[in-house]
Amino acid sequence: MARTVSRPEMTLAEKAYVPEIVKGLKVTMGHFLKGLFTPETLPVQSYPEVASVIPRDYRSKHRLMKRPNGEPRCVACMMCSTACPANCITIKAGESADGRIEKKPAKFEIDLLVCVFCGLCAEACPVDAIRMDTRVVALAADQRRKFKVGLKDLMDWDPKDYPESDTQSQKAPGGLLNAEARKQWGIS
Amino acid sequence: MIDFDLPFWLSCAKFALVFIPLCLIPICIFLERKGASLMQDRYGPNRANIPLLGGFRFFGFVQNLPDGIKLFTKENFIPRGAHTFWYLLAPMIPLAVALLTPSVIPWFGPMVVEGARGLTSVSGQILDADAGVLVLFALSGLSVYGVVLGAWASNSKYALLGGMRASAQMISYEVSMGLSAAGIFLVVGSFSLTQIVEWQAAHTWGIVVQPVGFVLFLTSLFAETGRAPFDMSEGESEIVAGYFVEYSAIRFGLYYMGEYAHIAIAGALVSTLFLGGYQIPFMDTEAVRANLGLVSGAIVAAIALTALGIAWMVRRWARIYARLSAKDAADRKREYGVLNILFTLAGIGMLAVAVALVVLVQPAKIAVAGIDVWPLWVNLGTAVVQVGTLLVKILAICWVFVWVRWTLPRFRYDQVMALGWKIMLNVALVNLLVTAVVAKLVKG
Repeated sequence: MARTVSRPEMTLAEKAYVPEIVKGLKVTMGHFLKGLFTPETLPVQSYPEVASVIPRDYRSKHRLMKRPNGEPRCVACMMCSTACPANCITIKAGESADGRIEKKPAKFEIDLLVCVFCGLCAEACPVDAIRMDTRVVALAADQRRKFKVGLKDLMDWDPKDYPESDTQSQKAPGGLLNAEARKQWGIS
Repeated sequence: MIDFDLPFWLSCAKFALVFIPLCLIPICIFLERKGASLMQDRYGPNRANIPLLGGFRFFGFVQNLPDGIKLFTKENFIPRGAHTFWYLLAPMIPLAVALLTPSVIPWFGPMVVEGARGLTSVSGQILDADAGVLVLFALSGLSVYGVVLGAWASNSKYALLGGMRASAQMISYEVSMGLSAAGIFLVVGSFSLTQIVEWQAAHTWGIVVQPVGFVLFLTSLFAETGRAPFDMSEGESEIVAGYFVEYSAIRFGLYYMGEYAHIAIAGALVSTLFLGGYQIPFMDTEAVRANLGLVSGAIVAAIALTALGIAWMVRRWARIYARLSAKDAADRKREYGVLNILFTLAGIGMLAVAVALVVLVQPAKIAVAGIDVWPLWVNLGTAVVQVGTLLVKILAICWVFVWVRWTLPRFRYDQVMALGWKIMLNVALVNLLVTAVVAKLVKG
């Protein structure tokens, strides 16, 4: 049975329209006067001088994790580019120098203009090599090709900026245990 | 050598009044932006500044400057298939109309001055026609030609739809606008705007005798200026931007400025018909002239208090320092400090000027050819006071335009038509009928 939606009948004052307009005008004038005389109470932020705090688990620009020797931890398994709904990840596999590991990415490129920041690549990665926790959200460039970021860009990050989140990554395959890694990386 | 004929040169000088709506455009835009932002609980434009003046931002007023530069320097794009001549001509019409209309608005009371041909009355209108208000309505209705012509010449269906909506809306609301204003003509018994204002000075404001007419007239003006809630001609969600969708750079800017000039003109029209025009409340022109010292002193004192109020507001806005970065807070502290001192000094100075005006200005009539008339300086001083009064009223109406725009949601197109034809036209007709009967009974 079809559901009947009953719309409330308008009262005479509502039909006359003018009293309702006066009510609305009162509301906006109240906001105006409040903002004019107590500007410090307005819910605004002086961006970009005062940037907002972005939580660590906010999905922002990607970074590639590194092994202690500076190589990318990525094993070029293509899981991320397969999971990617936007098809923005291009990986070319090369041979790894480490005997325990089969492959490494010869090329790892993300087109940030195509990326939809869904986080599925980070979810799919079996070795925790790709993360989206850089908190870089204001991406700007003057040319489209500059939005295609490669290995160099993705691995250009400082461990000191991620003091609380590196614990797990150092236990990942191919990595060293946490304390040892910190010693090698010089962040004790 | 031409004889120096004072009335002639005064009439020439009156042409400067034509530029008042143009000067009001940046103020209207500032009002609109700040009104909109504060009603939406935000600060509005406050980044543009003048580096040469120490990075002062003047609470966002400077934003007009980069906007103007941007509009003037962008590319003037003409779309393929556009009718070039009409396309280039159309945006000029609204602004040309906005420049013409002030010529029939009475800016000050008629003054009697001595000229080469004896005593001559100089009107406060540039064009003192008996049919003044009809000229005003005709010019006001003309501005829609710019919209329709530009829409048609753009060779774009969205623009054409917007133009057709604008013309339909104009036809619908022009009718109730004329009929709602007709009530005040019946009461006054004249089409001359100066006489309407003088009648209001002698009796009472038009809004008191024609409250329904006032509301109808104001609503029709909202529709005629094409602003929300009647912005059918530029419905973003339905027809992109409406009639000016193909326009860029300063040609778009002409439409934009034309809209705000139209608001200023509308404000002048409403004030003249319903709010006593250039008259100071409870004082007719003669009373202002006789007490010029007191009146001008009171006005300067009011301005001084406004300046002190602005200084107080500047100090109040200093509370937002805490939200800024350190460098920004230091910059604002410097700007607000200077503004605070400037406005405080201006306020105190003007209070002194006010006292001096009250004490020193003692107008007295002089006899010319056996008739007592006011000396020229009294007439001119009164004219300045009255133009200022009208400006205050215009700005108040402009504020109402902004206020209503940011309060009411848009109408649907059929609702606009229904409101125009089924409600406002009928109410205007009944109002006119009742006014006619009452006016006949009272006046006989």
